[in-house]
Amino acid sequence: MHLKPFALSALHSVTAGGRRYHLWMATLTLIMLVGAYAYSVQLRYGLGVTGMNDHVSWGLYISNFTFLVGLAAAAMMLVLPAYILHDVDFGRAVLMAEAVAVAALVMCLAFVVVDIGNPLGGWHLVPGIGYLNWPRSLLAWDVLVLNGYLALNLAIPFYILYGRFRGRPPEKRKYLPWMYIAVMWAVSIHLVTAFLLAGLPARPFWNTALLGPRFLASAFTAGPAFVILLLAFIRRETRYEISDGAFTKLALITTVAAQINLVMLGSELFYKFYSPTHHGINARYLFVGLDGHHALVPWIWTAIALNAMATIALMIHPLRRNPRWLAGACAVLFVGIWVEKGIGLVVPGFIPSPLGEIVEYTPSAVELGVTAGVWALGMFVLTILVRVALPIELGEARSPYIDEARVAPIVRPRGTRTPAKPVRPVRTR
Amino acid sequence: MMRPRVCATAMCIALMWVNSACGERDRAAADVRTAPGAPATDTARVNAEARVATVDTARNKRLEPGALATVSAAPVTLWKGPGDQPFEVTLRTADPASALARRFGTITMRTALRMRAPNVGQFPCTSCHLGRAMVLADKRVGDAHQNIESVHPVQAGGVCSTCHAPDNVELLTLKSGERATLDHAYRLCAQCHFSQADAWAGGAHGKRLDGWQGRRVLMGCADCHDPHKPALEPRIPFRAPQLKRPRGHDR
Amino acid sequence: MSPDRSRVIPSGGPVGPEVEEPSSSRGTDAPNGSDDGTVLQKRVDRRRALGILIGGMAAATQAVSACAPLSAMTDDEREVKLLAWREYIKGNYHFMTDVERADTIARLERLAKLKRGADVTIQSTGAQPGVMFGYAFNISKCQGFRSCVEACINENNLDRRAATQYIRIFEMEDGVIDLDHADATFQHEVPAEGHFYMGTQCFQCADPPCVKVCPVGATWQEPDGITVVDYDWCIGCRYCMAACPYWARRFNWSAPEVPLAELNPVQHYLGNRERKVGVVEKCTFCIHRSRQGRLPACVEACPTGARVFGNLLDPNSEIRWVLANKRVFRLKEDLKTEPRFWYFTD
Repeated sequence: MHLKPFALSALHSVTAGGRRYHLWMATLTLIMLVGAYAYSVQLRYGLGVTGMNDHVSWGLYISNFTFLVGLAAAAMMLVLPAYILHDVDFGRAVLMAEAVAVAALVMCLAFVVVDIGNPLGGWHLVPGIGYLNWPRSLLAWDVLVLNGYLALNLAIPFYILYGRFRGRPPEKRKYLPWMYIAVMWAVSIHLVTAFLLAGLPARPFWNTALLGPRFLASAFTAGPAFVILLLAFIRRETRYEISDGAFTKLALITTVAAQINLVMLGSELFYKFYSPTHHGINARYLFVGLDGHHALVPWIWTAIALNAMATIALMIHPLRRNPRWLAGACAVLFVGIWVEKGIGLVVPGFIPSPLGEIVEYTPSAVELGVTAGVWALGMFVLTILVRVALPIELGEARSPYIDEARVAPIVRPRGTRTPAKPVRPVRTR
Repeated sequence: MMRPRVCATAMCIALMWVNSACGERDRAAADVRTAPGAPATDTARVNAEARVATVDTARNKRLEPGALATVSAAPVTLWKGPGDQPFEVTLRTADPASALARRFGTITMRTALRMRAPNVGQFPCTSCHLGRAMVLADKRVGDAHQNIESVHPVQAGGVCSTCHAPDNVELLTLKSGERATLDHAYRLCAQCHFSQADAWAGGAHGKRLDGWQGRRVLMGCADCHDPHKPALEPRIPFRAPQLKRPRGHDR
Repeated sequence: MSPDRSRVIPSGGPVGPEVEEPSSSRGTDAPNGSDDGTVLQKRVDRRRALGILIGGMAAATQAVSACAPLSAMTDDEREVKLLAWREYIKGNYHFMTDVERADTIARLERLAKLKRGADVTIQSTGAQPGVMFGYAFNISKCQGFRSCVEACINENNLDRRAATQYIRIFEMEDGVIDLDHADATFQHEVPAEGHFYMGTQCFQCADPPCVKVCPVGATWQEPDGITVVDYDWCIGCRYCMAACPYWARRFNWSAPEVPLAELNPVQHYLGNRERKVGVVEKCTFCIHRSRQGRLPACVEACPTGARVFGNLLDPNSEIRWVLANKRVFRLKEDLKTEPRFWYFTD
């Protein structure tokens, strides 16, 4: 009975907004249209319009996919303390993190769809009408776990929001077991994606036991970093209250994960460069160039420099506590990890080829257009989810069929803002 | 509510699709009329329905027949293939079918390095010589043999009589005193090149004609190596022609 | 339903009525119940919205059908569409019954005739019992002529536009077999002094890493050892290309083009039939020839006799003689893919 008002309320939340909001959505829509046009070119002429070739057969699309799976998994990092450890600080932030997870997953699935050569044959993957080569194929595992994770991340927040919308607070015994499953599932989606790459002896750059842990470390760096940025934006622009504790703890998670990420990078560098065997030839191409080919060298070193600087900044307590430094470091980390784990991971796996040939890769305009379109789609979905969730969480959106008196809002009185907490002055001497 | 209606519609669509996909199987069995333009005898399906072996007999007939049926070959003496199986060697003839060129798709390529027929002179000696006398019937031809300058076998002496019988150039003298015809030149070559001859009989040297199964016909030594200049000639390698580059990036 | 219910419901907060708010998240919404001038704030009720949508769709359909009247399709075009639809919904060839296989082959042959006027014969020949194909390559004999490449392109209907080649011939300096310093793009007189030549293609591994990773099972190994691809089932994810240690697989980045005059009409469903854009393909040891007892095109075309092919299960085959009597090795032996392609020297 409450579904129709819920949908209408959601529609209203999404379509009503100020000029900045509409400008944002219009920009995203424009980028999505550009991406759609680029994709139509790709559908018409085949994947040859991208920069990929038989040597570098995975490029920008799978790079982004790999990075975004990590983003989706890390959102669950907040779930564990919030729901299971009953950390009050995280309580407010969890739904936003789940929105990030859904948006990242939508982008992941979109990148996979634009990357495959025969998208109309996608039904071949559906067990029952098609044939899913499970459990031998890691891609089959990935299909299952990603869709399952998406379903979990849609169902649980929907249950919670819908419950609040109709004035019936969600029951812990109903969603908590699923939360436990979702937390374990989050780790597994990124491990499966790592195993997808690490299980290929043909690609020595990926064929290492450290790839899975590296993926988790970089995911838990970039994921909370993005959530911090999102929560900072929400705190500044809306009346949704997010405690300082949430930021502090998220920042701590990000910092520790960033340190672990750097340690693992160091470990890989040592392993690949101390004894220059054939196993490390892809790493040589990436970090120092090979036979005159060095297209990726500036990218990877910039990424490492960004990561290192941001990690060091975050390790300094006063800086981490300062919202501006925190936001800056998180943004820098996000970009650095995107390069290091995206094109800095997928593309070097193919260069040189298994037969020693070096064919470099440059994304084409079509690829960049489609990528931009998918990212815009993700941001669009994220915006929609946040816009739907916020009024319900703020208590402003409620079903007209419930008794008003039973509503228990979780918002502070209107007309006030969270006073900016005074920042402990940074020691200058 | 909307939900039952949506479910019902989705179920109907799913059932229609499944029916059309599965119906293929049932309809195919019952459908006698073949698709227009299909082969008159749908051998594969008939075979399948009659549960016969899947080797397509009708289709086999459409294959380009191997030249093994027409190639002239002689059984090899003294040498046996793997497992002591006998094999044959191609004979030199002027027949184009055994000219050691084969079709690949729509092109024909030489599969042996030499076309012996024009080189060695497969016409009978009597076209130039009167009987056994070294008299040229047609004086315009000049001396057809003196232009052959041998760079092999320089190690064995390097004159014509090292290999050729002095009284009949079409016979080869063997160490044992026997004479071999040019078709069985392998007997002469093997005297020095015994390891290559071993490999040739075993299958690691030279070429086999047409198939990996069935009648084993090998090319003779002179099908690839000019006895007077046996080293292989260098050549420019094949380069795959490419149509106009497609839109966008390419290899 | 009362008009209020049909409108969207921003219910008032628990504290105070809805008043003009400076908060940016609320924007400049007009209060309930009144239409404002701008498009963004116009409110329509559900019935009108639905009516507009349906009317728009009807108008669009009319416009589209006016531009491309369905009834103007010829019989051939209609048949092509029907055959293409049936081809689209068919299953994985690996699991088809013989009748289904015969049907899809009949459809494909008919489609080739309708679309290009080509009379092709597509075999569905299965593996011969007691046969396991093996291949040997003599790196002393290969001179880099690339006749094998020429024959393969023509025999297998490879894409002329992208110059797809299953076979790759590497030129290496004498002294060490090092693919990292090999050149496959040589185009000078061969053989070059101080160099030797080595060719690669799909090795039809006994433990193929490509078969393991395909998410839809579009590639599998047949009983006679040939790893095949069902081009119509492949979704083009290219995971198998990442998994192959020998760079044996090719992808159709654009629609493959083979001029009709150069089309080889003798085809096999799992081999050299015409492929489409967005699917993976590879060497199949000329499955349409080898299953009929003939040599693959590369073996037959090689002028130097550097290639040996045969049945590994036949103790009297040439391939077995090579393995027993020559010093053989395989590429990347340590990956345990067990390729059925050996290299040897004189």
